Amino acid sequence: METLDNQSTQELKKIAKKQSPWAIARRKLFQNKLAMISLAFLVIVTILSFLAPWITPFDPTRVDIMNRNVPPGGDFMLGTDVAGRDIWTLLLYGGRTSLTIGFVCMFLVVSFGTIIGSISGYYGGWVDAVLMRFTDFVMNFPFLVFVIVLASIFREAGIWALIIVISVLGWTGAARVVRSKTMSEKENEYVMAAISIGGSPFKVIRKHLLPNVMTTIIVQATLLLAVMIVAETALSFLGFGVPSGTPSWGNMMQEARQPHVIRSMWWIWVPPAMAITLTILSINFIGEGIKDAFNPKSAR
Amino acid sequence: MLIYTLRRIIIMIPILVMISIVVFSLALAMPGDALSGQIDPQNSNPEYIAEMRERLGLNDPVHVQYARWATNILQWDFGRSFNHKMPVTDLIGQRLPNTILLSVMSMIITYILAFFMGRYAGRNPYTIGDYGIQGLNYLMLAIPSFVAAIFAIFFFSFQLGWFPATGSIGSGVTPGTMDYWVSKIRHTALPALVLGALTTASYTQFLRNDIIESAQKDYVRTARAKGTSENQIYNKHILRNSIIPIVTLFGFDIASIIGGSVIIETVFGFPGIGELFVSSINNRDSSVVLAITLMLSVATLIGNLIADLVYGLVDPRIRVE
Repeated sequence: METLDNQSTQELKKIAKKQSPWAIARRKLFQNKLAMISLAFLVIVTILSFLAPWITPFDPTRVDIMNRNVPPGGDFMLGTDVAGRDIWTLLLYGGRTSLTIGFVCMFLVVSFGTIIGSISGYYGGWVDAVLMRFTDFVMNFPFLVFVIVLASIFREAGIWALIIVISVLGWTGAARVVRSKTMSEKENEYVMAAISIGGSPFKVIRKHLLPNVMTTIIVQATLLLAVMIVAETALSFLGFGVPSGTPSWGNMMQEARQPHVIRSMWWIWVPPAMAITLTILSINFIGEGIKDAFNPKSAR
Repeated sequence: MLIYTLRRIIIMIPILVMISIVVFSLALAMPGDALSGQIDPQNSNPEYIAEMRERLGLNDPVHVQYARWATNILQWDFGRSFNHKMPVTDLIGQRLPNTILLSVMSMIITYILAFFMGRYAGRNPYTIGDYGIQGLNYLMLAIPSFVAAIFAIFFFSFQLGWFPATGSIGSGVTPGTMDYWVSKIRHTALPALVLGALTTASYTQFLRNDIIESAQKDYVRTARAKGTSENQIYNKHILRNSIIPIVTLFGFDIASIIGGSVIIETVFGFPGIGELFVSSINNRDSSVVLAITLMLSVATLIGNLIADLVYGLVDPRIRVE
């Protein structure tokens, strides 16, 4: 009798497990080899970057005139740059800057987009009209051009100004996606039930709608993380991003704006170039994996 | 369609005014004198600046300044560039042909590459060739344009020596001759290839998926049943239907090319609008920055308008509002 009970509860548990979309998605994601390898890569890069002071003995900001443009090998594993700074050290510290800015911008952009999008989608009517016209309006500005103009105006204000400038201009896509998902989710009966028992709009959005829009938000967030890292590195590369004293992947690439560095000192620009590209690639694979995992139609 | 078009264009007018107000507010925050470009940005003598500001009316109330600026712009007067000592419109006029050539070449490259890769992958889905194209797509989506540009310069200009690394024209060629155009196209080819190849990925994917989807449709089965050859089915029946949605992406391309050209032109030292924009910001030549910002915003707006119109043309349901 007891064994049977045990069996049936296990069976129930199995069914319960099967029914949770999050569990299904997690299982699908874990089975996706490419996404898992990418995730492992991203985690390793992040850990290495944030443990930089313990991994490398060199100071990323110290200029060493005696050891300029040293090729890889010897005392410096990946060589040194035009100012005699160790490339491996710069790569680690630079990763810290670039990843931090990427994550913070992504967080701000997704939060702002989610707030605007969910309010717009939930209320509809004139609230929706006003917010969406505003979104369209911001969308009309060429992103890079405006970020550069604003970044040049606030150049002295440092990294936080850069983060805010990127975030203020970057939220429109996320807002649109969250809005359309909220609108279709709003039609469900559970939302009407939540409203009918007297749930305030804030509570209905936060407790009932957002958990169901969450999958869309997570996929958007992953893709936006890649976009934000590219934005930071591109801006720093052009000289409008992170202040030049702070190591970042984009600032490292800045050296490669001189043709003779591209031609004969590949060890200065290849490591940051590879770091950026592989990071973006792995984030995209993770994003694809998550999208696939949440898609009930996908075969796995 | 005519009413739809007119309505779309009329909606643009208040948006244009609002954009001009935003750009104008940026101008007030820019260093130096963005509205007329008469004050030397390098001269930091407070007496000189105060005198010039008074003379140029920069101490007037904001709305008066805006009205004056807007009137000037409507008369096609964007002030003068302090660094280049010439009207901003002339300066932009010199650079614009280069950027247009670059954009057109990159678009042609995008369409040709996407057409062939998408057609091949769509016709042979889940084969090695398809997976190869998909892998290439992932790589092109991931690699930032400036990284791709630097790799391209390294391989094609320095290792192989096929293309010049910088500039838009060789030295000692006279405008109008055959050599001039050959040199021009040779200089534009590599930046255009980088700009064009990176946007190929989404088009290729779009075309591939559409072809795979269309291949399941009834009209294709009918065509097959009637004994039409596979080539004919793919090249005529399916491709004609799959090309249409791609064309609608064209308008959005303008916006992405604007952002892309700023980066690519700077990397290649290609004297177009994007390079002028970046160098003007570095030289604090604010009147030029202001004019380009306004111009590119309007171009983006027009790009979105074209996308909307083409979409309305292809899908009549969009026209009803």
